[in-house]
Amino acid sequence: MFEAPVQKLIDELARLPGIGQKSAQRIAFHLLHVEETDARRLAEAVVEMRERVRLCARCFNVTDSEECSICRDLRRDPSAICVVERAQDVVVVERTHEFRGRYHVLGGAISPIEGVGPEQLRLRELIARIEPEGVTEVIVATNPTVEGDTTALYLARSLKPLGLTVTRLASGLPVGGDLDYADELTLGRALSGRREM
Amino acid sequence: MALRHDQGIVLRGYPFGEADRVVVLLSPNHGKLRTVAKGVRKTKSRFGGRLEPFTHVDVVLYEGRNLDTVTQVSVIEAYPRLRGDLDKVLAAGTMVEVVDAVAQENEGSHRAFLLLQRGLSALETGPLHDDIVPAYLLKAAEVVGIAPALTACAACGSSDGLDRFSLSAGGVLCPQCRSGGAYALRSGLVGYLAGLVASDLSSLPPVDPVLSKDAAGLVRRFLEYHLDRLLASLAAMDV
Repeated sequence: MFEAPVQKLIDELARLPGIGQKSAQRIAFHLLHVEETDARRLAEAVVEMRERVRLCARCFNVTDSEECSICRDLRRDPSAICVVERAQDVVVVERTHEFRGRYHVLGGAISPIEGVGPEQLRLRELIARIEPEGVTEVIVATNPTVEGDTTALYLARSLKPLGLTVTRLASGLPVGGDLDYADELTLGRALSGRREM
Repeated sequence: MALRHDQGIVLRGYPFGEADRVVVLLSPNHGKLRTVAKGVRKTKSRFGGRLEPFTHVDVVLYEGRNLDTVTQVSVIEAYPRLRGDLDKVLAAGTMVEVVDAVAQENEGSHRAFLLLQRGLSALETGPLHDDIVPAYLLKAAEVVGIAPALTACAACGSSDGLDRFSLSAGGVLCPQCRSGGAYALRSGLVGYLAGLVASDLSSLPPVDPVLSKDAAGLVRRFLEYHLDRLLASLAAMDV
């Protein structure tokens, strides 16, 4: 056991994902030896994030105002919504520079085994956006896992009767990958979704 | 520490560390196996989609102190058609949840494995039968040794006037053994349930819309009562 203030920080750090006692100790002693202003800046960043960041009232992305910067951007195409599982996924899709519509963060995926059903996700909020925003296409960008696929199937079943085009991100071979290592499911999907050249 | 070969059906998985996943398999010889698939969440993982739930795989495992590490995977059956149908995926979710609840680690589970395999095959090959989940649950109850008494009174063994069902007694009751908490059964339901128990999952009897609903409710309550847990996969889709 270290002196109380040091041990307290180690215990707090060790509660973070992927950080064990040893890593927590290393970080704590690092912070003990850096300039006080650096340590204070880190502490302030944590506090500021917790105090200022909330969820966008429209798409549930993280933001520091009522609506996120994407929802506020009038140049974005309001007719297309890209549905993702987590707020982190918005950044990933944005990095492609291929999508100019808006987003909707579900807050997870349907996982019957874990007891997560449609009621636990922000599906009702998504349906409520369709008419007022004039949405015509919903792109389902959930993970290509059983849970993500189940969510996509459920969304298609709920949204298609509303006259919307529901599309799913294509599954296939990663760029730079080796055909030899492709599994049957992925390769099967890549084949069925092949494109004419 | 050594490499060993095994096979199993993937029951579920959960994220572990930066890009790994703990994958829970049901092996016929060793029961539930908790394994680690390193880097499986990266798009370029060599495991790809092979370790997704419901996949029947052949694995090479490196024995670890707590969890075995998956070093090779090849697919025996991926059930691709099942995955494209929402209702079939939900039914498969319940099948997996039940074997996950009853199977133990380091304990052979041939019967549970075969039941799950037959259930997934029935979902994969044919159209979705409305009674497949209750039929599967009844068979799972049999595998665990908690099959409900359906042909004779659970209390006295009489086969006359079986029109009540008691969760605590473990099956149907005759008029003499009726207790306060027993459910009144719709006429024909006992025979309908017995028909589900006796049939193969891929050739279940024709659906009776009224009895089917009753059967599903009763079997679910029975399993939940005796396993002492709610079936999350069924509760999740109750809207």
